[in-house]
Amino acid sequence: METSALFDFIRGPLAWISFIVFFLGLIFQFYRFFNLTKKNPHVIYNPRPRKKITGGSVQDFIKRASLSVFGVNPVMVIVTTVFHLCLIIAPVFLLAHNMLLKNAIGISLFSFSESFVDTLTVIFLFCGLFFLLRRILVARVRAITDWNDYFILFLATAPFITGYLAYHQTFADHYRLVISLHILAGELMLMAVPFTKFVHMVFFFVFRFVIESEYSLGKGDRTW
Amino acid sequence: MAKINTAGVDTERVKERLDEHKTKMKLSLKACAHCTLCAESCFLYMARDKDPKYTPSYKFLNSIGLLYKKKGMVDKVTLGEIRDNVWERCALCTRCYCPLGINIPEMIALARSICREQGVYPRFDRE
Repeated sequence: METSALFDFIRGPLAWISFIVFFLGLIFQFYRFFNLTKKNPHVIYNPRPRKKITGGSVQDFIKRASLSVFGVNPVMVIVTTVFHLCLIIAPVFLLAHNMLLKNAIGISLFSFSESFVDTLTVIFLFCGLFFLLRRILVARVRAITDWNDYFILFLATAPFITGYLAYHQTFADHYRLVISLHILAGELMLMAVPFTKFVHMVFFFVFRFVIESEYSLGKGDRTW
Repeated sequence: MAKINTAGVDTERVKERLDEHKTKMKLSLKACAHCTLCAESCFLYMARDKDPKYTPSYKFLNSIGLLYKKKGMVDKVTLGEIRDNVWERCALCTRCYCPLGINIPEMIALARSICREQGVYPRFDRE
């Protein structure tokens, strides 16, 4: 295949394939989850009575937070929250992506300024670096780390690294190569979401909100 | 690859037990982000000078995760290592907290059940 034909394939059909795989994969995972679980016929497990989150004083909120995982690992919780927010916000509300969306299907989402998304990208990459260092340096994380964890981290950060390089035209002479790698990295990540460790994106919500447990964040009215 | 000496282990039965819980086990193993945020929720981890081997995710991955990875083809030595993880290092107090909502105690209990079936469990009367 010629270079231009390959480029056209990456930014054309492969983009659609990746979106289809992403959405169908997520639907499949949701279906599988609901197939595996059933509505709880009666309350077997009564979680601790919940206190209202709103209405409490700042001191109450701080006290509650200090007793949660946030109080135990504040840095990790903040970094991981920022990382995941940037992971969603930066690509979805990027002007360039929305212009492509407008050209393709005629509708687009709200866009943040390019400099703001650029800042989010840098923050995201620093968070990724934090995860990498944590994996290498913290004994308990290292103890359960395998090559797949590094690969997943690479897969998650690759679209952002290449996106940053493309936006800043760092390799201006090879812009087409960089932008192709960026598109390809994004497509690979999208396709990987439903079938790799990225699937925790879905399971965080279904496990924590739908399944009954002491730590359920939602109704938790289904059981395995 | 060296052949595993599965003598004394009913590998077919282990596989059968794993298959009964396959989908949930697979989902749980896949959902585990290896973040170790569960560590401090384990009182044994805290009491054993934060030894990584007491991290709930370590115990979960090195018990049911190991059995799943090896598709039940394990030897007595491996089952012994799993025994250490699910009995010696876990009181099954069910207090471990996973931010992603994985039911670690259930997975540990399943590993215990499989080990027990294969005659691998703590013998307090002998040890």
